[in-house]
Amino acid sequence: MNATQSLVMDADLLTDREQTMERIYARTYPMVRHYVREHGGTEADAKDLFHEAMIMFYEKTVQNQLTLTSSVSTYLMGICKNLWRQEVEKRKRKTELAESHAESVWEEPDLDGESSLALMSFVNQLGETCRSVLVSFYYFGQRLDQIARQRGYQSIRSATVQKFKCLERLRKLVGHLSVDHFKS
Amino acid sequence: MRPELEEVQLLESYLQGNLSEEQSLDVSVRLLWNQEWQQKLAAQKLAYQALRLAGRQQLRRELDAIYVRLFG
Repeated sequence: MNATQSLVMDADLLTDREQTMERIYARTYPMVRHYVREHGGTEADAKDLFHEAMIMFYEKTVQNQLTLTSSVSTYLMGICKNLWRQEVEKRKRKTELAESHAESVWEEPDLDGESSLALMSFVNQLGETCRSVLVSFYYFGQRLDQIARQRGYQSIRSATVQKFKCLERLRKLVGHLSVDHFKS
Repeated sequence: MRPELEEVQLLESYLQGNLSEEQSLDVSVRLLWNQEWQQKLAAQKLAYQALRLAGRQQLRRELDAIYVRLFG
């Protein structure tokens, strides 16, 4: 894949996420599933692993941290192979320690589950409009002009104001928490 | 924008490193003595973290839906 193709891909991923992800999924998942099955995993393992790789890929794309020198499928396959090797190692160690349930490498490392849920619940308390504007902009990397168009704002300026209003509300909601509790 | 929103915007630019050297220094100095600002900055960081978690959760759901459509 050359640089131009890669840029087009990035743009598609951000502006037309679902369809672009579905194309990548259809092309890459069968290879990942085959690999994981050949190496002692199940279909469920393959799915979890692939989703984790897609999330890493998406986040790196949004943050502009990715320069692909190969196709997206090859890149994702590489991540999956690495993650699966780590997972197999981890499960082996866990078995040796005779622990009952194995944690996966692809679980959120920063916060414990309870804190994550508490934080996410604040986002949901914002209501659909604010939640969607903020998540689209800050996580999915959508541009404000696209958000303005989709949500019927008159201008990019109104979308910007809306975004900061929503962020201020979220800041107030999470501000009630003890900040020390969430240090990562 | 009302002043409170300007302030949210300023702290965002500060965190992203998008301020001029002078503006950035102003914010840093103000943060040193203004406890209310320190709390606001900490809460704003937490807000971004909350959005990342909520975004990931949504992305996982979208991927699950694609799996069901294509391979379920």
